Amino acid sequence: MNSMTQHLLTYLIFTPVAIAVLALFIPAEAKKTFRILALAVSAIQLLIVLFIVGQVRPEVGSFQLTEKLTWFTIDLGSWGILQAEYFLGLDGLSFSMVALTVLIMLIASISSWTIEKNVKGYFILLWILNGSILGAFTALDFLLFFLFFEFMLLPMYFLIGIWGGPKREYASIKFLLYTLLGSVLILIVLIGLVISVQAPASGDTVVHTFNLLHMSDPANFIFGSILNPDESWMIGPQTARWWAFILLFIGFAIKLPAVPFHTWLPDAHVEAPTPISVILAALLLKLGAYGLLRIAYPIFPDSAMALSSVVALVGVTSIIYGALNALASKDLKRLIAYSSVSHMGFVLLGLASLTTEGVSGAVYQMFSHGFISAMLFLIAGVLYDRTNDRLISNYSGLTSKMPVFFVFVLIAFFASLGLPGFSGFIAEIMILLGAFASGSTNQLISEGFAVVAMLGLILGAAYYLWTIQRMFFGPFHVKSEIRPEQLTDLDKREFGMLASLALLILIFGILPQILLDYINPFAQNFSESFFNSIRYIQNP
Amino acid sequence: MPELILACGILLILVAGFFTRNKKTNVNALLALTILLSSLAYTILCWNNYATPLSLFAGLIRCDQYSTYFKILIDVGGILTVLMSLRNRVLSSGKFNSEFYALLIAAVLGAHLLVASTNLIMVFISLELLSISSYILAGYSFTKKGAEGSLKYFLFGSVASAIMLYGFSILFGITGTLDFTSIDFTGRLIEHQSLLVVVAGLMSLAGFLYKIAAVPMHIWSPDVYEGSPMPVVAFLSVVPKLAGIVVLSKFALTLTLFGQSPFDWQLVLGIIAMLTIGIGNLSALWQTNPKRLMAYSSIAQAGFLLIGVVCFTEQGMHALLFYSALYVITNFAVLILLQAFETNGIDSIPSFRGVGKTFLFSSVVLLIGLISLTGIPPTGGFTSKLFVFASLWSSYEQTGKEILLWLLIFGLLNTVISLFYYLKIPYYAFLKTAVSQPQGQNTPLENFLAFILVVGVVFLFIRPDLLMGWLNTINFVL
Repeated sequence: MNSMTQHLLTYLIFTPVAIAVLALFIPAEAKKTFRILALAVSAIQLLIVLFIVGQVRPEVGSFQLTEKLTWFTIDLGSWGILQAEYFLGLDGLSFSMVALTVLIMLIASISSWTIEKNVKGYFILLWILNGSILGAFTALDFLLFFLFFEFMLLPMYFLIGIWGGPKREYASIKFLLYTLLGSVLILIVLIGLVISVQAPASGDTVVHTFNLLHMSDPANFIFGSILNPDESWMIGPQTARWWAFILLFIGFAIKLPAVPFHTWLPDAHVEAPTPISVILAALLLKLGAYGLLRIAYPIFPDSAMALSSVVALVGVTSIIYGALNALASKDLKRLIAYSSVSHMGFVLLGLASLTTEGVSGAVYQMFSHGFISAMLFLIAGVLYDRTNDRLISNYSGLTSKMPVFFVFVLIAFFASLGLPGFSGFIAEIMILLGAFASGSTNQLISEGFAVVAMLGLILGAAYYLWTIQRMFFGPFHVKSEIRPEQLTDLDKREFGMLASLALLILIFGILPQILLDYINPFAQNFSESFFNSIRYIQNP
Repeated sequence: MPELILACGILLILVAGFFTRNKKTNVNALLALTILLSSLAYTILCWNNYATPLSLFAGLIRCDQYSTYFKILIDVGGILTVLMSLRNRVLSSGKFNSEFYALLIAAVLGAHLLVASTNLIMVFISLELLSISSYILAGYSFTKKGAEGSLKYFLFGSVASAIMLYGFSILFGITGTLDFTSIDFTGRLIEHQSLLVVVAGLMSLAGFLYKIAAVPMHIWSPDVYEGSPMPVVAFLSVVPKLAGIVVLSKFALTLTLFGQSPFDWQLVLGIIAMLTIGIGNLSALWQTNPKRLMAYSSIAQAGFLLIGVVCFTEQGMHALLFYSALYVITNFAVLILLQAFETNGIDSIPSFRGVGKTFLFSSVVLLIGLISLTGIPPTGGFTSKLFVFASLWSSYEQTGKEILLWLLIFGLLNTVISLFYYLKIPYYAFLKTAVSQPQGQNTPLENFLAFILVVGVVFLFIRPDLLMGWLNTINFVL
């Protein structure tokens, strides 16, 4: 029993990878086997997550279920020892992201049943993606995190590029180049950090480590190194630490995506097949926010605090700009993609406030947006599967043809625009509270940001309600290429997926405490160690 | 000495050539393989003998572990070239067969001597042995393009050698000694600091930069690669490059005079590395011929090798050693597969359309090789770039020179550009659908060989400590 629980996270990550390797030996014709196998993988992962729920104590703010093995140790002579670890662990943030990943992967696997082209290749790539997302959410070693982070690129590239829509080639390469650019910026800082940080109490020989927890402690920076907090190594007008934070911020903002680094997202979303859009919006975007919470902020708290207003500005710009773009979108999927940009802007705003409410809200938003965006993309997929057309202006009065579908559209749209009772409301209200509180408590960002962000909520209501009015109300009418008999209502599979997502959104909207029990200790711990680090940097 | 084996081997193959003239036979190749394998085995056996450097022939060459390591890589390169030639259509046709292998071994011998040279004359002679053999090898496709490439290579090469020799003669005039590792040499240079030394140093460097195909001495390489048969491309992109970078690293360290040179050689080499990476990558973007693509790729890779030198630290040297090993393995894995595709008539990038379906295994292995050249995990290419850039960063930390920081940022951003062209072939292979499915036989031998190499690449990502730990025992002494 004990040895079982020791490696729970490893099992979680490597179940899909192992299945992917096994699947190489299954003949490609057995399409059904792959589909069932995909469900089995998700079922096993779901069981493991339930098991984890039983194991972890949410009120503990620190890491649980940790696994630590030495990956490699290289003696580099006079320079010291270079050490990388296979180090996994779970705190409130990781836990909520892991739970989200497993649930979304289940939905994506069900949604993938309609894939007919090269099923074997598709599911193998999907499983590799699954494992690497979970790995990135649990890794506590920067090199290991980076490995998982990069490992997602190629499966995603092929999943969009082979199974995507008409402009898939352009969209996939754009996605790949943008994301790799972000990774390279992160890599520059990774190299700098491993040179500047030593493991505590390493004695005479310096042990350079990739351990994120060691990096987050300002006491571990080597005296005289470039990124040392008390050594002001200047590059141009600013300190090296300031630049390092900027690089990390841009690197993760590309993934998030925040304006102005978001232009890959609408293309990738519009071209990707439905299940991949779901994964992209619900999980990959969260990695950007996760990276900021786990890496950029704890390691460079001084620069993060100094740049709070910039982060908030980028967040608010994303909220407004994303919403305006959504308002102008003619394609339903593009509209949803831009609404993602808008909603991820809230995460940045919450983070910039550096209050416990704001940070909690940001994590809650990551979690809740995962389900809401998954539901939205499934809705776009339902329509596209039937007619191969997503132009909003081509539809009118759909309510009469697809009444059940309309109910789910209403739920998803209202959840996304932040109606009370749905999970999005809890997240956004907490973020706004945090942003307002910041002005009066730590004075990091002004109340103005929160006020403008609320304008974003109004815009959100505008584009969703306008879309409902255009597509679902009024007399039934479709463009001539679409035959009305194509517009059948939901089948059982679609109903199941949408209903379960709607249920989750409602549960987390009405009983937020379930998740907040995990998130709040994390947020408190986060703020506490953040300001402890700041104090240490100011008076070592 | 392994060099003796090689020298006798050349004669042996030439003699064997009398009996195999214009016959379709593998005897020469197998003979060459045996010779190179014994040279490799002998080099490895000598490893422990050279723990302390050993000067031979009145200081003409010096055997140490640093040069021995590169001799091993060079031999491995030679062996893989022979294996590739066995499967090459043009080279196994029997035309001037024994001469091909004799020249190949002569080039390996030249590279062996070059990495161990400590004397300017010896550097020149071994460089010429390597070059002249390479000029002829480049023309072995017996086509108009091949002849053009070979001649271009020869003309550029002669000019570069002449410039280098002129630089050597000035240095000899100033110092009065040919042994560039001796205290006399550096001592005199420290005494006589003048513009002349700088000019002579630059002229000498030009010859080495020509060998590693670094900007601005790179113009020959795409044409030569395009015209040569694939095994020769593989050979030229690895062996002369490594030999060149070794002698360059020693020579550059001399020029800095242990940090006492008033002229900033680090800056010069840093700019050259930046230009090499940038121009190599940007030019590669527009290529439609896989050989030309690999030519520009190898130019860019030379820039990354140069970074190891630019650090001017022991750590940088070790990173260079690691990078070189990965470069040899990966480049051969990619080129072996490109040759396999070429045999099936897939010889331009657009003709890779739909190849991913017909030749799934080769395409996936090729993809991993190309990812490693880009430097993305989980491949050793990532680890090697990590080590190189980590040494660069430490070097920046020690010296505070801005050029090193810019080189770091520029080099890393260039991996994004390189991804674009490295993925061009997989892009056509997997994403584009073919008008007519490409036909052809499977190439199990090539697949197997490339697969072994790629497994090595991935293994070196998972356990870099095994190689790096060993490399760190190598002492770099000038």
